[in-house]
Amino acid sequence: MNPTEIPLKSPSSVTDLSIGDVEQVERALIDASTRVPVLMFYASAVVWLLLGTLLAAFTSFKLHSPDLLSNVAVMTWGRIRPAHLNVMLYGWASNVGMGTAIWLMARLCRTTLRHPLLLVTGGGFWNLGVLLGICGILMGDSTGYQWLEFPSYAAWTLFVGYSLIASWAVLMFRFRRGDPIYITQWYLLAAFLWFPWMYLAAQTMLFVVPVQGVLQAAVNWWYANNLLFLWFGSLALGTAYYMIPKVIGRPVYSYHLAAIGFWTYAFFASWTGMQRLVDGPFPAWMITASIAAMILCIIPVATVGLNHHMTMRGYFPLMRYSPTLRFTVFGAMSYTAFSVLGVVMSLRSFARYLQFSEVSVAYSHLGLYAFFSMIMFGAMYYIVPRLVGREWRFASLIKIHFWASVYGIGLMTLMLLAGGMVQGMNMDNPSLPFTESTQSVLPYLRGRSLSGILMTVAHFVFAYHFLLMLLGLGRTASVPTFLNPVNPDPEDVIAH
Amino acid sequence: MKGFTPLVLGIFATLAFSWLGLAYIPDLQIGHLDPQSDEEGTDIYPMPKSGMAERGRRIYVANGCFYCHSEQLRADYAAADIDRVRDAALSPPPKWGDRRSAPRDYIFDRPALLGKMRMGPDLANIGKAAPAEEEAAPPQPSPANPANPPAPGASPAAANASPPPANAAAQQNAKPAAQPSTPPAPGASPAAANASPPPANAAAQQNAKPAPQPPNPPAAAASPAQAAAAPSPAASPSESPVPYSAAWHHQHLYAPRSLNLDSDMPAYKFLYEKRRVGGEQSADAINLRGEGAPGEGWEIVPTYDAKCLVAYLMSLNQSHPLNEVRSAVPPAASPAAAKPAAK
Repeated sequence: MNPTEIPLKSPSSVTDLSIGDVEQVERALIDASTRVPVLMFYASAVVWLLLGTLLAAFTSFKLHSPDLLSNVAVMTWGRIRPAHLNVMLYGWASNVGMGTAIWLMARLCRTTLRHPLLLVTGGGFWNLGVLLGICGILMGDSTGYQWLEFPSYAAWTLFVGYSLIASWAVLMFRFRRGDPIYITQWYLLAAFLWFPWMYLAAQTMLFVVPVQGVLQAAVNWWYANNLLFLWFGSLALGTAYYMIPKVIGRPVYSYHLAAIGFWTYAFFASWTGMQRLVDGPFPAWMITASIAAMILCIIPVATVGLNHHMTMRGYFPLMRYSPTLRFTVFGAMSYTAFSVLGVVMSLRSFARYLQFSEVSVAYSHLGLYAFFSMIMFGAMYYIVPRLVGREWRFASLIKIHFWASVYGIGLMTLMLLAGGMVQGMNMDNPSLPFTESTQSVLPYLRGRSLSGILMTVAHFVFAYHFLLMLLGLGRTASVPTFLNPVNPDPEDVIAH
Repeated sequence: MKGFTPLVLGIFATLAFSWLGLAYIPDLQIGHLDPQSDEEGTDIYPMPKSGMAERGRRIYVANGCFYCHSEQLRADYAAADIDRVRDAALSPPPKWGDRRSAPRDYIFDRPALLGKMRMGPDLANIGKAAPAEEEAAPPQPSPANPANPPAPGASPAAANASPPPANAAAQQNAKPAAQPSTPPAPGASPAAANASPPPANAAAQQNAKPAPQPPNPPAAAASPAQAAAAPSPAASPSESPVPYSAAWHHQHLYAPRSLNLDSDMPAYKFLYEKRRVGGEQSADAINLRGEGAPGEGWEIVPTYDAKCLVAYLMSLNQSHPLNEVRSAVPPAASPAAAKPAAK
């Protein structure tokens, strides 16, 4: 199909013809009301993203050059790594996810944002918690539970901040207009309710009344996996369910499919986690239950994938123009890859080799970056112009961001998968010395560092572009910034 | 979707269900285990760790050791963990372990550091790999006697095990005289005797204890503390410390690649202190030759944190048989006991 034949409209005006000017004004009012809190979440997210990227690059280099700056306690690998992870989880991903969720909530509840002070205070506490936590980790105060390394003072600051944000979200829901709750709202509401549930449960069972021995590890991975699926996963899927139909101006293919996808996701994804501990010192039924849940997760993955695909059918060429669509569709596709890898590596016959290898790092990055972060980038490309009243300045920067991210995460996944397999095979061969397994993965880790450079470039370009928008240096145009010229008369449309 | 209430209830119920299944019910099943003992109530395993080792766990956590080292062994049908030897050049080569890990091994651990990655070897039994009696380190020639003739012949074995440090100062008797290849712990291998003949010097009377029993005493609390508190008398400049002894751990933490060129571990120099030798050299000073050596008149000594960390490492020992787990080398305990964690 010739892409120019598609009725390409600016995303916000897709439904204008049927809705009319009143709604248009109303929507502008809603957007304006969300401006301060959402931009605050976004700005802090981007700052954390840059910090996390630098920490990531440092972590990656130190892994194959262990003597790099290792003589200072703060800089030791075992502190930089959890600092990177937590900056990304709670600094970048949670902030950007909450910012997007707030905006989507206001839009979908069709009400102006009430109590912005609640949100701003909550966001402040949240960021303070992250800052305290990172300092705590670097000073050697880590708790020793993966994804929960924040010491208690930081964890509770974080939670106070979160409670304020979540109470806002529930309040918002009460003020909503129009009863059909859109799919996105299911996911967002669920994420907002699940997070405190799992966070409190994990904090209680690990620190307040700690469970015995190996159960700590079970609770730890129950939390970590649910954070990945039910918090980040729900935020990203909800966003994708909004952005894809919105940008192409076409309703979601099937509501029923979406409902099936949502409830099976809630039901099966929440039971995963123990597959990360395959053949560990646990009753086998726990692990088997999680492996089964992991396999059953193919149902929600397939339904969501099918739904998105059918919605997009015939509109894929639009990815040539819309940055939002391009990032979101890439993220949605990565969701499938992420889930398939998750199933494969949880199967016992594969876990034998992959369990203690770099493959699990590939898995986490596939989920948190290729799936979650890419969808969030897409959402930011959509939302930020509506908040600052300017369009993105340079299409070229968006392209650099996209391709550097895609090649970066692609290379990283390939390197870690291939390296992890080699490492795992060698590790499971007792006739080889153990160092053979670590030595054999080093070349791949160097390749991974290369991919880190690409992603660092991507993030700095994005941050610069975002800063331009914050400073009001975006384009003043009525047409969004497309990645490629849309009509034969380029001067009107292209960015520069 | 119809309405708000069913949605919220469903959201709540799904996670509650998973919490019930994966956190609450397992807690009922394995959340309240007691140490095992024999009929007389002795031979209790596991035991709480000493205070030093518990402090060492904090150091271990603070510096993220658990991101690269697991502390769990999988069963023989699931992986090759218990077939793996720690160092093939030692005789007998210490294994990673004789049996899989079980929930009962961890009942006093907080946090239980099972680990998710092995960029370094598993440490579930690293304490067991220590020489049988820590104090029974081999007689070392005193530092005052650097002209100790290196024992020839054993070096090829040493080369493949743990490559000798790449020090430029090869002219001093840096060729480790069979050191990495033969554990000189008396009783472990008589061959050690001919490889490095113990000269009857000042250090010799310290290890008068013959230490005949090869397996480590299972009392996990006792040995590591004294091991770290009183590390083996300073090894001579010409010798690497006995593998997996406290002195070895200290040198390994301070300069990993001085013991194993292939090691990918960062150095933890910040856990050590470089200071001037006042009078006699400290007993626990690290003996590093060649690159990284502290230089004349200086010595490198572990801080208290480093001693605690090593105490923790040396307390890691799951070698005691458990009734519910079959060991690779069936000990006195019933070998065919039921395995709760079996597939």
